[in-house]
Amino acid sequence: MLFNSIDFAIFLPIVFVLYWFIFQRNLKLQNLLIVIASYVFYGWWDWRFLSLILFSTLVDYFVGLSLGKEERNGRRKLLLWISICVNLGFLGFFKYYNFFVENFTVAYSFFGNPIKADLLHIILPVGISFYTFQTLSYTIDVYRRKLTPTKDFISFAAFVSFFPQLVAGPIERATNLLPQFYKKRTFNYDLAADGMRQILWGLVMKMVIADNCAYFVNIIFENSEHYNGSTLFLGGVLFAFQIYGDFAGYSNIAIGTSKLFGFNLMQNFAFPYFSRDIAEFWRRWHISLSTWFRDYLYIPLGGSRGSTGFQIRNIFIIFIVSGFWHGANWTFIVWGALNAVYFLPLLLLKRNRNHLDIVAKGRYLPDWRSVVSIGLTFFITVIAWVFFRAENIGHAFAYISGIFSESLFDLPDIRNFHQFVLILVLISFFIAAEWFGREGKFATDGLKSKPRLVRWGSYMFLVFLIGMYMQTEETPFIYFQF
Amino acid sequence: MKKFLVNIAVFIPLSVIAYLFLLIFWGEIVPDKYRINLIYKSPGYGHTFSRMKEAKEAPLTKVLFLGSSQAYRGFDVRYMFQEEKIFGFNLGSSAQSPIQTKMLVNRYLDSLSPKLVIMEVAPTIFGRDGVESSLDLMANDVNDKETLKMALKTNHLKTYHTMIYAFYRDWFGRNEKKVEKMLKGEDRYRKNGYVEKKMSYYKHTNRYEREVEFSEKQVEAFNDILAKLRNSKVPYILVQAPVTKGLYNAFTNMEEYEEFIKKKGPYYDFNKFMNLNDSLHFYDAVHLNQRGVELFNRKLMDTLRLNEL
Repeated sequence: MLFNSIDFAIFLPIVFVLYWFIFQRNLKLQNLLIVIASYVFYGWWDWRFLSLILFSTLVDYFVGLSLGKEERNGRRKLLLWISICVNLGFLGFFKYYNFFVENFTVAYSFFGNPIKADLLHIILPVGISFYTFQTLSYTIDVYRRKLTPTKDFISFAAFVSFFPQLVAGPIERATNLLPQFYKKRTFNYDLAADGMRQILWGLVMKMVIADNCAYFVNIIFENSEHYNGSTLFLGGVLFAFQIYGDFAGYSNIAIGTSKLFGFNLMQNFAFPYFSRDIAEFWRRWHISLSTWFRDYLYIPLGGSRGSTGFQIRNIFIIFIVSGFWHGANWTFIVWGALNAVYFLPLLLLKRNRNHLDIVAKGRYLPDWRSVVSIGLTFFITVIAWVFFRAENIGHAFAYISGIFSESLFDLPDIRNFHQFVLILVLISFFIAAEWFGREGKFATDGLKSKPRLVRWGSYMFLVFLIGMYMQTEETPFIYFQF
Repeated sequence: MKKFLVNIAVFIPLSVIAYLFLLIFWGEIVPDKYRINLIYKSPGYGHTFSRMKEAKEAPLTKVLFLGSSQAYRGFDVRYMFQEEKIFGFNLGSSAQSPIQTKMLVNRYLDSLSPKLVIMEVAPTIFGRDGVESSLDLMANDVNDKETLKMALKTNHLKTYHTMIYAFYRDWFGRNEKKVEKMLKGEDRYRKNGYVEKKMSYYKHTNRYEREVEFSEKQVEAFNDILAKLRNSKVPYILVQAPVTKGLYNAFTNMEEYEEFIKKKGPYYDFNKFMNLNDSLHFYDAVHLNQRGVELFNRKLMDTLRLNEL
């Protein structure tokens, strides 16, 4: 079920009413309702893959219980590996099997022994990368004794399958989300109103910004060989807004929806395009994934401790693995590696924690240094996004060499001029809203302190904006494919 | 919870009202190219405005033509009048699908009271969503309860937006001074609904195979039109106007389509009766040029005479 669909617009109020009016008195029933609703939500796409979620839930639940009882280190390690193998096994099979087979045959053939291997027609289950990482966080934290394993299967199943963030995150930590299922939830007006505000802004990001950018992005990327450098660069810039609007929009809707049910999820995006260097960008972009890798991969590898060579190795590992997490394609690996290259100078010069504050906090406009560094960071991010969007490595390099050609200084070749002007106006509005809202958790967060007339007037305008500028064909979220 | 529900209950109707005002405001101040989901082009493409205006004042009609651009660019009512002194009126419109044809039949059948209806049934009409044509008719004809029915049937955001704005324009007399040029680009509006295109020739391009599609709501509307004609005792014939051979042969399930259409009434496929040349008699893959139109209309008259229609 898509957040931007009529199905969800009907589904959400039904679950809301059942949750707060029918099952309010019984916490277990409320959690059971969440499990059922989540399975319906996921099964709407393909019910067959519910078995994967159920299996993963069962394995991690029993592994968790066993870890709670087991004191012997060897046994505990074995249990942890069972969980890792099951979860990463699913992920490996559904997401990476064909990639490895394909590359293996190419590599084998390269050494003069051509072999033929059949690829499988595998459907990638929606959201598998997200929920496997979420359940892994549970078993790892139980293994590390940071978390007491739960005996409440329904709560655990609700934690794994919680529908607002099931298919595209935020990837929640068991330490944050699971305890929320144990506590009785009472309706909180402020939290629910905040949730509605966040959902609305998420829909604007997805339906007004991302989907309209997608129109030009698709044309430019699919015909990149025919366009000049400035148009290709513009395609990259528009993709930067598309991916941000799409993914951060999803996160906002997910977090907002959770608030309607009395849950607090972690912030997943914090105005990343106002970052002044790439380290700040990665603290603000897909926070739940970055911190996941930090806590469960980077720090166990040694983090920023040890020799310089060791640190460089760790940075490359975390960025490349993060890239590979996004998809089984070399483009994602290069995208990850490129970000590591961007990050490295900051790490080596120990300047990766220079910008921990909010840019131009308390002021309307940034100083010129911030403007330049924001611009530069955005520019290198756009170049990296080309790898993320390109069909393959060859396409990405051809695209980038197209950008850095003499025609970069020609006028962009825009065929549908009026629509292009329109998207520029919409993006300008969006940037302004994000800039003035950057001190909150999301762009329209600050509206809550405004008088009702301003608040409601703004909501009505945003609703209208969606109605007037949304694409009328349902468009899935990009991150569903990950 | 009570406060939350009360606020929602107050916010929803207020935002509906605000939405309507903003919609009209947007329609008035924002140029049409910058309104993605409100498309109100009047006078628009295909001279629909002039045609509908004339339809309201037309005398009793002997033959009424219905259909898409193949109808208003293919049935030259002047020819019929010259040859037989028969007054015909062409009520075709751009991308007209059965949903719109039904609305026009409901709106104009009584006033025009034709003795024969000729409906152009290109294989593509049943697969259309009907949005483009709905927008065209809303912007270029008066709006009434038939418009609402059509919008509900089309069930598309653009249609609803445009309908609201069109009703506003009608009610506030914003269309009263509207005039349409008879010559627009290469199109010249001739009397009684026909549009003549400046003479040009089709340059062949590749056509890809495709299937005739049937949308349930279009088939339902089509059946309703025929039932209405039967109830009103107006005889009708179904006609497939000629298209280029390349396009005609691109349909992979034409037999299935013909089976379907033959069950609905007398059907004449002029692609089979005529041997037109793609390059000489068409200006694009779908439309006849004036030379092709003359040949087609002559053949049509012969067919009508032969069948004593």
